[in-house]
Amino acid sequence: MGAENVLEIGGLRLSFGGLKVLSGVDLHVGAREILAVIGPNGAGKSSLLNCINGFYRPQEGTIHFKGEPIHRRKPHFVAKLGISRTFQNIELYTGLTVLENLMAARHIHMKRGAFAGALFFGPALNEEIRHREVVEDIIDFLEMESVRHKIVGMLPYGVRKRVELGRALAMDPTLLLLDEPMAGMNVEEKEDMARFILDVSELRGIPMIIVEHDMEVILDVASRCVVLDFGVKIAEGRLDDLVRDPNVVRAYLGEE
Amino acid sequence: MEPAVNKPRWDTLPKALRHRASRTGGEIALRVKDRGIWKAYSWKDYCENVRNLCLGMVSLGLGRGDKVSIIGENKPEWFWAELAAQCAGGVAVGIYTDCSAEEVKYFLENSDSSFVVAHDQEQVDKLLSIKDQLPLLEKIIHWDIKGLWGYDRPDLLSMREVMEIGRRFGEENPRLFDEMIDRGSADDIALLCYSSGTTGLPKGAMLSQGWLVEGVWEWSNVDGWCKQGIEYLSFIPPAWAAEQALGIAGGLVAGLTVNFPEEPETVQENLREIGPSVLFYGARLWENVNSTVQARIIDSTPLRRFLYHRSLAIGLRIAEKKIAHRPLGLWWRCLGWMAHQAVFRALRDRLGLSRAEVVYSAGGALSPDIVRFFLALGIEIKLFYGSTEMGVVSIPRPGEIHPETSGRPMPWAEVAISEEGEILVKSRFMYSGYYKNPKATAEKLKDGFYTSGDFGHITEDGQLIVIDRMEDLRMLAGGRKFSPQYTEVRLRFSPYIKDAIVVGGEQRDIVTALINIDLENVGRFAEAHHIPYTTFADLSQRPAVIDLITQEIRKINRTLPEHARIRLFVNLHKEFDADEAELTRTRKLRRTFVEERYRYLIDALYGNRQQIEVEAPITYRDGRKGVIKTSIRVNKVE
Repeated sequence: MGAENVLEIGGLRLSFGGLKVLSGVDLHVGAREILAVIGPNGAGKSSLLNCINGFYRPQEGTIHFKGEPIHRRKPHFVAKLGISRTFQNIELYTGLTVLENLMAARHIHMKRGAFAGALFFGPALNEEIRHREVVEDIIDFLEMESVRHKIVGMLPYGVRKRVELGRALAMDPTLLLLDEPMAGMNVEEKEDMARFILDVSELRGIPMIIVEHDMEVILDVASRCVVLDFGVKIAEGRLDDLVRDPNVVRAYLGEE
Repeated sequence: MEPAVNKPRWDTLPKALRHRASRTGGEIALRVKDRGIWKAYSWKDYCENVRNLCLGMVSLGLGRGDKVSIIGENKPEWFWAELAAQCAGGVAVGIYTDCSAEEVKYFLENSDSSFVVAHDQEQVDKLLSIKDQLPLLEKIIHWDIKGLWGYDRPDLLSMREVMEIGRRFGEENPRLFDEMIDRGSADDIALLCYSSGTTGLPKGAMLSQGWLVEGVWEWSNVDGWCKQGIEYLSFIPPAWAAEQALGIAGGLVAGLTVNFPEEPETVQENLREIGPSVLFYGARLWENVNSTVQARIIDSTPLRRFLYHRSLAIGLRIAEKKIAHRPLGLWWRCLGWMAHQAVFRALRDRLGLSRAEVVYSAGGALSPDIVRFFLALGIEIKLFYGSTEMGVVSIPRPGEIHPETSGRPMPWAEVAISEEGEILVKSRFMYSGYYKNPKATAEKLKDGFYTSGDFGHITEDGQLIVIDRMEDLRMLAGGRKFSPQYTEVRLRFSPYIKDAIVVGGEQRDIVTALINIDLENVGRFAEAHHIPYTTFADLSQRPAVIDLITQEIRKINRTLPEHARIRLFVNLHKEFDADEAELTRTRKLRRTFVEERYRYLIDALYGNRQQIEVEAPITYRDGRKGVIKTSIRVNKVE
């Protein structure tokens, strides 16, 4: 594996009691690459993401982020390294506005303490303004101006997904993990989301791992694909080649 | 007679811009909300940006008389592009943002545009897809880089790049910009405005600098908005002559401060923040505002509903007195004040109308009920009558309120009525003909009068009443005439009806209607009455919804002459859509087209059918096609 890889995973094993979730998964993500992870339900896709950002601790195997081992690290440490993610079931502060959610995500970049923040004067105020600028850029980028001051809990599902992507971006990530960013969206929302993902990749060059079921979306955005089935990597390559791979067909459609 | 107005000091918009930049350069000319903050541009900034953009385009090959098409949302860049073109002696051409690539191609081809200034990736993609078919088109300039980072073509430049080229070009040729402005005169064509085209292909009406400068100067003087610092929110499409007159010329000539919304979706919020004094809404927009209020009140708490209805009753009584020019006694003044404090003040603020002073409605008929409603709130809507070709023809003057009329003709316009009832206009501020179409221009003239194609009459006290388009009047089998539009605007006054087309004809003895329910408001109604539904089509055919619409039509029928009453109607299974050419881009109904398209439905209405199976082709935004199958009920109104 080349030195330019942002993320390298080797021989990852994860089991809950007797249940084997991941059995020796190897994969890597190159700089500026969008890697799609696909597979049937229960293949271990979300667990893989959970291992990367430290929610789960794998029993065996290594995860290296920019050369640094992170498989024994806590989630908040991994987040500070610049790995940020979105969740399949949307994890936002539903009682706060879009703007407040994004500002909260800037928290890891805020240096002033609680005392200065409470006084809200001088350096703390300047810091707030600087972070607000970053957040406003993201609002502009994801076209969320009209919902800026809306409470997240009141927003439609598709918009909330977009806010979550915004929240992930607000952390200035160096690797983005997107867990089913298009689930439950209509065609138009999916197209918007695909465009945003491509724009993020083009403008910021952030490498991404995207877990998704919608093949058309993957065809549009991903540069490479990894197929998991029962915790095993069964194929890897370009999606148009993979759909002809007999192993992949078997995993999705079953044995003849 | 109104007092004569002095002439403006300049004869072209570029001269006005230069004058303002040198005299009151530090004052705010434009304001735009960006990244959540209102940012101001002074007259000096305005002029500087125009100068750099203009010189940049000149150095890239723009010459006198060349056409510059502009396609984008309302933003300062739109205005800069237009003024930059005009400073170089060029002509600006406005194109609506929601036009398809094919429509854009028609406008660019017909106008012989050599430059296009485009907003963002969406517009640029359209332009690039047709660029090969447009040999005259040299450069595409965009002002929002988002999504365009990877586009690398010599004919595609960002506005910033062009301005930088212009700045350097200006250093080499320091006097060129002023010389170009000095060469301009009132007779120069400033603008091509394409008519929205309820019939046939759009034609480009040529508007001169004189039309924009003098016409707007006199108009703003008559209506009292010719002073610096009056707030205006620019959100009607600049491709429309009205925004040209109010936003672009209104700013430069009358001195309005022009504010731009952050996004089209935030207009309502931004309206409230700015509280503009001058407002120009299409009739449809007033209808929308009204139905939103009605729907919100229905949703509100009983106490609020009670207060609203009491206050509105007071407001309407006061409005009636004002219309009749009867004095208000102390009693009514007190009640009016209370109603204002209790309801109207907050309501006006919510609607962004808290400071509205000069308020127009244009682009179609407006129900007198709506005029009365807003008058009750203390807002005097003026029924504007004019068009791109005729300019401003007639507006009620301050203090002369008539809910049904467009007031007396303006001092510069002369109005006559032909034998058939068509409105004929002669005006000092007319367009300069259709671009490359002298035949169409000549057809519009009759004995020196411009034939408006509108049906109307003048009352005994000289007020102009505009009823409908000539071609849209319909005859019934008995030989009696009626105006479908007259009924339609009254139908649209109902919060539950978004659109309607009223049908009759020489072979038909009754009037019928195709109704578009208002999805939002009927949806709320359904929710409140526990009526389950899936799609628009499904909701529209629910018996409770049909009853609701029947009630609404019954109410309207009472105000109509016996022969013009609606006897049968259907709720349509889909909304009228500009993408399917059922509405024009300014949301006017394309009657002939719609009647043709729904001929099978209309025939069924007159064929004593109870139920109609429909299979309608629909076109999605992205051009894909689909089919809806559903069955529609024919409903009787007693």
